[in-house]
Amino acid sequence: MEQKRLFQAQENGKAAPALIRLDRICKSYGSVRANRDISLEIRAGEILALLGENGAGKSTLMSILSGKSRQDSGTVFVDGLPAPFRSPRDALAAGIGMVYQHFMLVEAMTVTQNLMLGQAHGILNPSAMRARVLELAERYGFEINPDAMIADLSMGERQRVEILKLLYRDCRVLILDEPTAVLTPPEIDQLFAALRRMAADGRAIVFISHKMKEVLDLATEISILRRGEIVDHFLRADVPGERELAERMVGRQMDVAVAQSPVEKGEVLLELSGASFGMARELSCSLRRGEVLAVVGVAGNGQRELVEMVTGEAKPEGGRDSVRILGKNWHDFMRSRPDRKSMVYIPEDRKGLATCPSLDLLDNFLLTNRNGFQNFGFLDRRHSAAAAENVMEEYQVVADGLHATAGSLSGGNLQKMVLGREFFRDPCLIVAENPTQGLDISAMEEVWRRILDARDHAGVLLVTSDLNEAMTLADTFAVMYRGRFIDVFPRSDAAKVASIGLMMAGIPFGEEDGRKEQHHEA
Amino acid sequence: MTWDIFVALLAATVLAGTPLLYATMGELVTERSGVLNLGVEGMMIMGAFFAFIVQFKTGNPWLAVLAAGLGAGGMGLLHGVVCLIFQGNQTVSGLALTIFGVGLSDYLGAPFIGEKTVGFQPFDIPLLSDVPFFGPVFFQHDPLVYLSYVLPWAVMWFFRRTSLGLALCASGESPEAVRAVGLDPVRMRWLGIFAGAFLVGVGGAYLSLCATHMWTHNLSAGKGWIAVALVIFAFWRPHRAMLGAYLFGGIMALQLRLQALGTTIPSSLMMMLPYLLTILALLFSSARGKGRSAPAALGENISPGA
Repeated sequence: MEQKRLFQAQENGKAAPALIRLDRICKSYGSVRANRDISLEIRAGEILALLGENGAGKSTLMSILSGKSRQDSGTVFVDGLPAPFRSPRDALAAGIGMVYQHFMLVEAMTVTQNLMLGQAHGILNPSAMRARVLELAERYGFEINPDAMIADLSMGERQRVEILKLLYRDCRVLILDEPTAVLTPPEIDQLFAALRRMAADGRAIVFISHKMKEVLDLATEISILRRGEIVDHFLRADVPGERELAERMVGRQMDVAVAQSPVEKGEVLLELSGASFGMARELSCSLRRGEVLAVVGVAGNGQRELVEMVTGEAKPEGGRDSVRILGKNWHDFMRSRPDRKSMVYIPEDRKGLATCPSLDLLDNFLLTNRNGFQNFGFLDRRHSAAAAENVMEEYQVVADGLHATAGSLSGGNLQKMVLGREFFRDPCLIVAENPTQGLDISAMEEVWRRILDARDHAGVLLVTSDLNEAMTLADTFAVMYRGRFIDVFPRSDAAKVASIGLMMAGIPFGEEDGRKEQHHEA
Repeated sequence: MTWDIFVALLAATVLAGTPLLYATMGELVTERSGVLNLGVEGMMIMGAFFAFIVQFKTGNPWLAVLAAGLGAGGMGLLHGVVCLIFQGNQTVSGLALTIFGVGLSDYLGAPFIGEKTVGFQPFDIPLLSDVPFFGPVFFQHDPLVYLSYVLPWAVMWFFRRTSLGLALCASGESPEAVRAVGLDPVRMRWLGIFAGAFLVGVGGAYLSLCATHMWTHNLSAGKGWIAVALVIFAFWRPHRAMLGAYLFGGIMALQLRLQALGTTIPSSLMMMLPYLLTILALLFSSARGKGRSAPAALGENISPGA
């Protein structure tokens, strides 16, 4: 019945009436004004993209709309009537559902059980629900096994379960927060096709992203958020172009992305020959001074294990000689303190592995830089404070002085501090894991520039799930899929570089001919 | 002759396993909702005390069981106040409840030590009790034992086939997911704590109403702790909990009988057996694998508004 009403709404008016209207929404967190006077309309059958940098206020706005947090002022109208949401339950009841960036699924339960949670009442009928799941999945072209445990599913499959949850509730408005971050390129195509079908069914899709290309691909309307305000709104047909869109998003002339030019390569720093640990199987590659080796792939394909081997957290299974660092075998390298100090590790987990959030910046600086700041075993805080301050200045870390806790810094500033701290040691081998994840464009460019500069004295093993980052920085690519390197090739091999996306989905170069055309058409 | 001894031993196994079964099922329900309750020992003995005193004063054993459940449930609510409202440490709160319960029952029960009471009497289930072997082992007991046969299956059915049970388990796995679908995980945990504590209390009631028919010092004797270990041994699965409870019941029954037979092994060593087995069971079940792991959010408090 719901369905029918939606169709009528679409047929009757040329521009469908707004399902949801936001009127002057404001929300502050402390002194930060996350949303300022935001007014927005969400219409049935449209795919609205909210484009903005990290911290622009997209997620805040959507958490208000999904009932997760409450606005300070302003009104949400549903079907023209004010709707004060007190909890996600109210928003769901109004037909607004959200797919969070971090999936809200119960991993130890099956797909069907997850769909039943909160949606079926009283005594359950799993087999009827199972049939319903299959039917919905088929209608939107999702491949899913209703009896599979969530823990066994890939990120893409989990996302489908999240979407199915909302479709099962017959949500009229689906909000997706950065939905492509965890997907392979073919999965992205599938998702987009399904979203288009849902829009054609008369649902409204809201799509949060900071990736220009995707937004241009999918959206029928685009709103740009900057520092908590909507600065622009376009219909798809009126979009000026990717570059201008990006400029409006950032609010300044964008530096043309950081440019990589090769520097002279030195001796081999890291050599893997058939290195295996856990999921990572038989990895072989080498890294020279002056080189950035980018390991690309969807997160969870063995990158973690690779990093653990190289940084010494895990012992390679293939014997000590399967990992050689600075010309020594793994065992000897890890046992030699001076050697280990010449390698730095920039983990993905900034507030956990890289820093202690509750300690101040100086203590965090001293965590990995104690040499030269010790007097007979005691820390010399005066000298180290001067050094740490220099680092903060050089890396333009914005913070409340040296005694601000690491946890109080924004992601970008904390990452710059971590980089400054690690590079302070003049390392010759740098292992960086998704170093720009969650950073805004300016912080990202800064980090990229620093990494490229570091090539003068070091080699960089860059593990990233951001293809764009790899393209910007890499001299050599290694594509990882299900624990193995599908291929390792230099930047100059243009044909292979062009098909990294397919390799990330496990299709080796040269075998994709049939699929390639299909992929390009999609 | 030996056959008779064997049958008697198995019947005693069921009797000794029953209080463990109730307590284990109670702790299992609580832990599946995501709350760690180390107060089982204290709740169990308070349950035993409430049951005894109500039986002693009213003479109605069913009223006594209800009192035991509510009494232990009340202690569960105390645990809930600490962990669910004030976000206190679940381990510390549970340990405190055990110390509190053991001490309080000892103090309140001091005047009654040695007092006898009727409690439940065994009655044979018609027909079934005449079946050779199975009859004497399973069907010549008291009503609480018969109820305990159904309990694991009822709990399993509740977890798998009711929306409430599903939401309760989900709250122990991922409270955020529960909140995201519009349910309140904290409410589920209140339910888990109270229902679990109620069952633990019934286990306690069994001790004073069926096992001893009297009040005495230290009636629970560490059975609450065994129940905590049994939940881990059972991988948080009801049917395995039943197996575990009878396994431990068997060891307890065996060591009593061996003592009675007058073995040369010192009785203090024999009495250690169940606890030794507890350690062994924990060792073996620490090999975690698929479908064996604890509820993911077990012991983690839910921050309000998250």
